[in-house]
Amino acid sequence: MAHAGLKTVILLSFVLAVGFLMIILSCALWSNWLPLLVALIFVLAPLPNALFAHCGGDDFTADYEGSGPVDLGRFLTSIVVVTGFALPLVLAHSEIIRPGACAMSIIGGSLVYGTILAYSAAFKQDESDFD
Amino acid sequence: MSLPRSNYDPRRVCLTPFPNWSLGKHKRTMGIYLAGGLFALANWTFLDAAILSAHAHAPYDDPQIPPPVHVAFVDWLPGISSLLGMLVINLIDKDRVRGEDGFGDSRAVWRARLFLFIGFALMAGGLAGSVVVLVLRYVLPEVPEEYQYYGYANVSQNIALMLSSVVLWMSQSVSSEYEYNLSI
Repeated sequence: MAHAGLKTVILLSFVLAVGFLMIILSCALWSNWLPLLVALIFVLAPLPNALFAHCGGDDFTADYEGSGPVDLGRFLTSIVVVTGFALPLVLAHSEIIRPGACAMSIIGGSLVYGTILAYSAAFKQDESDFD
Repeated sequence: MSLPRSNYDPRRVCLTPFPNWSLGKHKRTMGIYLAGGLFALANWTFLDAAILSAHAHAPYDDPQIPPPVHVAFVDWLPGISSLLGMLVINLIDKDRVRGEDGFGDSRAVWRARLFLFIGFALMAGGLAGSVVVLVLRYVLPEVPEEYQYYGYANVSQNIALMLSSVVLWMSQSVSSEYEYNLSI
């Protein structure tokens, strides 16, 4: 999918907007703005991978898949994603937010993160052609 | 008398058999992700208990008696111990533990094994401490069912931390095959 077109961009932005709408509704309907943290967490989720992706060394090192910083970035990304799913559940379990707000913020957060994943998968640049 | 085999030295107490599974490259990535997920899940399980304890109240139709136990600092100690153990284990260079005495001095291998032992002792101490906290604080005083959840959350936190450490170790000690993709 190197030549993902304009329709993909429009569809992804639509899904992203729906995700943010769900999260903001889950805050605004019960006037409790704690679930907005979920949006922040899911937006920040790809950041460690993006930061540590270029620490992997070049193609000529022996262990070119397994360097420490890349592993650390993946570990942190996984932690942040699970945190994004666990935070509304914990808040709903302690009766700080309503179960409806929990479900809506989880759905919205997974839509946002799925949009980010799909975007980076669809528009991944083929860097290996240039070196 | 026969000489001991080269890969089995009877003077060694701490044998570290490494599972040399030939996992693919993506298995390694999946293992790292799985370890991170287990790590976050462990800590959120315990934080759930702590937040629930901080917001605990009696049911509204009952007479308002305060809850019998809260999550105190004692409950945090096993998790902290497990976290320290995980940190120590993952800070060790794994080639040193494997015991190739050829490079460096031989004391380095001994020291690496000592720190590995300290890390595993911290993790096992965390797990045992969580069971102790569960039994002494929640099971033996026979607190009601919904408060025993704090103790079980503590135990499952430490089990998940140990699982996360195991998965991380295994996925990082996968011997990556030498791949020469010299595409010119």
